[in-house]
Amino acid sequence: MTKGVSVLATMWCIAGATAMAQIQKADTLKLHEDNADFTFTESQLDEDLDASQAVASVVAKNDLFLNQVGFRFSPMRFRVRALDNMYSQTYMNGLRLNDTELGRFNYASIGGMNDATRNKEGVDAYDYTTFGLVGPGGGQSLNTRASQFAQGRKISLSATNRNYYGRAMYTHATGLMANGWAFAGSVGYRGATEGVIEGTFYNSAAYFLAAEKRFGNNHALSLVTYGSPTERAQQGASTEEAYWLANSHYYNPNWGYQNGEKRNSRVVETFSPTTILTWDWENDAHTSRLTSNLGFAYNQYSGTALGWNGNAYDPRPDYYKNLPSGVGDVWDRNSEHYVGKEQFLLDQWQSLYERWTSNKANRQVNWDKMYHINRQNEAAGGEALYYQERRHNDQLVGAFSSTLNHTFNKNHKIAMGVNLNHTHGMHYKTMADLLGGTRYTDIDKFAAKDYGSKSLEAQNDLRNPNRQIKVGDRFGYDYNIDVNKADLWSNYQYTGGYSQVIVAGHIDGTTIERDGQMENGRYRNNSYGKSGMAKFLGGGGKLTLAFTPTRNHRLSLSANVLSQAPLARNAFVAARTQNNFINNLTNEDHIGFDLSYAFRFGRVVGKVSGYHTQITNQVKQTAYYNDQQSTFTYLTMSNISKAHYGVEAALEIQATTNLSFSMLASVGDALYNNNPYAQVSYEGMNPAELAKLNSVKNPVTKQPMPMRVIAKGMREDSTPLTALSAGVKYSYKGWFFEASANYYDRVYVGFSPYRRLNSTYATDGHFYLPTGVSPSGLPVFEPTLAQLENEGGILFSNDGFEMASYAAAQEKFKGGVMFDASIGRYIRLRGGKSLSINLSFQNIGNNTNLRTGGYEQNRSDFYYKESGGSYSKGEGKAYKFSKNSKYYYANAFNFFLNIGFKF
Amino acid sequence: MNKIFSIIFGATLAFSMASCMDSHDEPNTDNFLITAKQIGEPNTTIYGVKEKFKTPISTNNTFEQVKEDIIFEGVVVGNDVSGNLYQTIVIRHIGSTPEATDDQCIQVGIKHTILYPYFALGQRIRVNLKGLYVGNYSRTPKVGQPYYTSSGNLRLGPMLLEKVATNIQLIGKPNSEAPELTPRDFTTSEGEQWLRDSNNRNYLNSPMLAKVSGLIKEVQGSEKDNPATGALSGRKEPLPKIFAPEVLYDAGYAVDRTLLLKSNNSSITIRTSTQNDIAFLPIPADTHTYTGIMSYYSNWQMQMRSVNDIK
Repeated sequence: MTKGVSVLATMWCIAGATAMAQIQKADTLKLHEDNADFTFTESQLDEDLDASQAVASVVAKNDLFLNQVGFRFSPMRFRVRALDNMYSQTYMNGLRLNDTELGRFNYASIGGMNDATRNKEGVDAYDYTTFGLVGPGGGQSLNTRASQFAQGRKISLSATNRNYYGRAMYTHATGLMANGWAFAGSVGYRGATEGVIEGTFYNSAAYFLAAEKRFGNNHALSLVTYGSPTERAQQGASTEEAYWLANSHYYNPNWGYQNGEKRNSRVVETFSPTTILTWDWENDAHTSRLTSNLGFAYNQYSGTALGWNGNAYDPRPDYYKNLPSGVGDVWDRNSEHYVGKEQFLLDQWQSLYERWTSNKANRQVNWDKMYHINRQNEAAGGEALYYQERRHNDQLVGAFSSTLNHTFNKNHKIAMGVNLNHTHGMHYKTMADLLGGTRYTDIDKFAAKDYGSKSLEAQNDLRNPNRQIKVGDRFGYDYNIDVNKADLWSNYQYTGGYSQVIVAGHIDGTTIERDGQMENGRYRNNSYGKSGMAKFLGGGGKLTLAFTPTRNHRLSLSANVLSQAPLARNAFVAARTQNNFINNLTNEDHIGFDLSYAFRFGRVVGKVSGYHTQITNQVKQTAYYNDQQSTFTYLTMSNISKAHYGVEAALEIQATTNLSFSMLASVGDALYNNNPYAQVSYEGMNPAELAKLNSVKNPVTKQPMPMRVIAKGMREDSTPLTALSAGVKYSYKGWFFEASANYYDRVYVGFSPYRRLNSTYATDGHFYLPTGVSPSGLPVFEPTLAQLENEGGILFSNDGFEMASYAAAQEKFKGGVMFDASIGRYIRLRGGKSLSINLSFQNIGNNTNLRTGGYEQNRSDFYYKESGGSYSKGEGKAYKFSKNSKYYYANAFNFFLNIGFKF
Repeated sequence: MNKIFSIIFGATLAFSMASCMDSHDEPNTDNFLITAKQIGEPNTTIYGVKEKFKTPISTNNTFEQVKEDIIFEGVVVGNDVSGNLYQTIVIRHIGSTPEATDDQCIQVGIKHTILYPYFALGQRIRVNLKGLYVGNYSRTPKVGQPYYTSSGNLRLGPMLLEKVATNIQLIGKPNSEAPELTPRDFTTSEGEQWLRDSNNRNYLNSPMLAKVSGLIKEVQGSEKDNPATGALSGRKEPLPKIFAPEVLYDAGYAVDRTLLLKSNNSSITIRTSTQNDIAFLPIPADTHTYTGIMSYYSNWQMQMRSVNDIK
């Protein structure tokens, strides 16, 4: 045993050394210099794309497609059917774990306990489920009861060159003992002092404890508790220009040197200690099983960000004014302000270029500068101008569920249940670091500009005006959101000789309420205290008809309807400052169809599916720092209508007993098919200005028009809508080899609703009236169709009728191929011990040009001129925001070595 | 029991490994600089610069690039401490007799907000003009680099911070008692007479640190309760009147008020940017003394540096 551990430790060290070698390799990536786009940036507070959340999550073992797709396409953050993770549900021992505010399951909550959560069952959206309701994205159930762990111990050691470099897990399980008790426990650690992305680190522990006691033949009581305290530094998206200047698609603008040491400005801390108590009852005949759960979780999520006050200069290194392209137009050679036309522009461009390329520190956060300014300003009687804040999103969750499964006979079975969930969300920020300062007053910097720093409006909390903030104090905003959710569900399955019928239905109720803990100076009457409760009644049903003429062929047709409450995170106009619910806040509705054919022809197994889902009345809010208005902004779209449709296919050919080939394909679309309503709120802005920015007038009748986002034709972003894969698997004497070639295409950038607001179109001059009449009597417009499809626009008739609208083009990224491979060996040792080794490689071709996602900047390309209270388009800005989005790239070549020793 | 201990031991080990990685020592910033360490010895004065570049300085909105090492010194007498001056510091010749020919000021534009921690009032600085541009912005003599305004006009704007790192040097520490911080006094009848004299309205007297006294016209008599309407915003200003309500902003994002000088037969303009602490100050109805950076365009115009410039 001691020897075995020594061997493992040695191997881990070797693997770690290999990982370190990879650091150097990744750090010196050379990019093609012809990839010389010029862009600039804006912060987007909603971003968290470096967290591994936006990937296919459901692994259904009995589904050839779902079984493979998650792992195979995960490097490109593939989402099945382009659906958000909120549409799939995760259960543990029968208790639903999805966050009721955000809708998603937080995978980080079980990070580092892979060996403890390996026992799971996945289902697709239409499968019969024994554990609970699942959404259009399917669901999974983790079974972590102590008795389900095989008796023994396991050590897993891993090395990789991704977010972290090393992982160690130790799991111990007693199995079900003669006295009716079973215990299981697991501890783990993942870490890297610096991850593969420069300036990031990863520091995560994990614990898992389970105890179970069987009472007679019919009852069992199980207690599970786990948590994974994690601290990690984030990667930030940046523009192509910044990547080009840094000579790496993995440039990370979030970090900088402090005292010569690297410090990241965006550090996330998460910890979600969770406890689940489960009572299982089963009748003697094993035909009925009742599972009841009581769960409690304290979810803590916080992330830091830089803050700055007054007129302090934006400290982000890739702030657009710091970039060479900020000095003049670099896109249009015919432009009057083209950089190449004017020597002084070229000189300035060169000066900034040299600044970016001469020294790495110049393109990173300058911590010392912020400390210096704070100290100087305090010495002159002022207070800290720069600081680091920590934004907290915590939750106390109490949940109950009870599920009854009953099998009538071999043809009929039913499952039904109830779920109750109360979530108390706590949202606030604290002062993380005053960066050398000692004084800070809690007023709103944006409101201070609008109303004056001495005004009531500038106060973040009128109940504690001008409060002096120290490190650790709450400031800025502080509110709670309470969500109550209850649902009743059931599904029934009939299995006949040649057919199968599955019917499911549910009804649910949701309440959402905000409770402000601060009285905001801009919203004196509706920021402190309770908002009142918004109530939603939802429900839905599913039907699957399957025809199974032989055991080797199954044809199924499924349909579902669903009406569900909007998410609490989207429900408020500006949740940080006020109690108002958004307009048009209603249930989101789905109608979906799915036709699947699963088959086996000799050595060929396959499945082909076609699907169509129509989503209506969806609400979506984006929150970001708006450089244009110099304020934090919420933009909410409501009444969104979207269609997701496409084809999925999986094929496996068992050529020999040792050799098999597989193919996987997902080709679909996911697009907006209407122009949703829009509502904008700028924190700190006075109501008159806000009303003006929320209005748009018909260019002919001058009557108000509903504010909308011209989004028709826009696609779901940051997931490949085309993903194809061909793989081969070979096994020989305990060894196995796998290799796959994966092609990804049709990944779209996240579109900016702000740039497509009809009010933005109005000011940008994209409202068009007829300039004449064609010979056939049709109105003629000045812009060409290509221009409209590129820049966007709305065509009006002479009497003000809206004839057509065009959304500005959404960037589609270039497709590409990624090669992955793995090799493994399972060694059975004496005494029931075993050793498993697996080494996998991703992106063997080191394709560093594959974009996994990104987003457009929420700014116009034009200055606005105001006259008599109306805005119109002014001069074009030097920066072309429309051409400069921020991107994330797929990881460069990376590996994962895992060694497991069971004893 | 040993098994349970082994798990607890493992958990303790894992948690001890997970101690905070995000902790950092505070940096020593005593020697932090955004400016150059050494740019050479002065070889001219502000007056010398104005004379040498008389043509670009005196022709409205023109400028010229300097090709040689021209180095001069001055003391910072105006900065952006309140935000009223934007991306601008004003420096004044050192050691000359007030109102002497060489008692000259010049604007230095720097493309950065929050300049005042680096360029506090009373800070002596040295500027090498090589590679920079000298000219004027709306007739105010200035050092900087060209840029296109949001209206598309080519103007002499601020220099990039990169130029500060090579062309500007701090000399010593700021001296808040520096004699150069004493404004030229125009509160007397002789001073007002000087302002009225059209011969004085030239580039050699602009900009300057000045002090004037009088009443602000917009809050006298019936005008006090008569809100003006912003030409751009189309909205009326709030009452009681403040120096620069946002609704009255003009193309330069500022608001002009008229200061009636004590002699009551001449006036100057008090120009205040919106969105800073001075902007929100209620306008005093009685006579006050105003200090700030004075320049001449179509009339004398003053920009105060901070709320302390009103006495």
